Amino acid sequence: MQAWTERMTIIALLALAIISQAIGNILLSQGMKVIAGESQLTWNNWVSIYSQALQSPPILLGVGFFVIFFVLFAVALSRADLSFVLPAISSEVIINVAFADYFLNENVSSTRWIGALLIAIGVGLVVRSSPKTFGISNGRETIVESAR
Amino acid sequence: MKTALMIALIVLADSAGDILLTKGMRQVGEVSTLAPRALLAITRRAVQNHHFLTSILFMVMHFVGFLAVLSWADLSLVFPATCLVYVFSTLGGKFILGETICSYRWAGTMLVCLGVGLVSIQ
Repeated sequence: MQAWTERMTIIALLALAIISQAIGNILLSQGMKVIAGESQLTWNNWVSIYSQALQSPPILLGVGFFVIFFVLFAVALSRADLSFVLPAISSEVIINVAFADYFLNENVSSTRWIGALLIAIGVGLVVRSSPKTFGISNGRETIVESAR
Repeated sequence: MKTALMIALIVLADSAGDILLTKGMRQVGEVSTLAPRALLAITRRAVQNHHFLTSILFMVMHFVGFLAVLSWADLSLVFPATCLVYVFSTLGGKFILGETICSYRWAGTMLVCLGVGLVSIQ
């Protein structure tokens, strides 16, 4: 029973981590599109666009969600096996595409959905067969190794 | 084309950041305690480590590039495409670090490539 509760806690932590990361991406995407507006990012306006980004509430909030993701992910990693956590995180591709479709109205085509599904399976296979050599991104693997 | 170039830059910065951070943290040493004084000493060693510092630079590049590409491209294209980092890590593992890559990992790498191809079809 205790093992089951622990497993459910880890799944809940991972689900929250993935959702936080996807919300962070949605906020960044929305924030950047509002700032860039009709004028595309160019060599002439990038300073002004990035300085606006640093003061934009959606972008700052998005970064906050990344911090939440990072903390939840680290906690999940400290409690579970890498071989379970890393493949589970590969579902973030699907969640991000689903959120982009729903919240940003990106009209995701069926080809893109199939592509995202293949990527998620591919990432799952890659991280499952090499959990010790590299992490998901930004060196999270290093933190795991260090925490143990 | 601009999107593809930007995604390539993000993926390369991400891979380089990963490798350097891993190298740097291995030199800094294991974080086996949560005692504030020990953590402070580890942090001090980390911020003096060249690999660690360069990895941060690459992560900043990655984030700046990610923000830039999101200002014009769809998140449903950009996010899946950045998974190409797994392909680069596998190739880097094979050809730079001389790792043995198992068939599952090659299969995964190919699925990611195929998936990115499908995702980027307009």
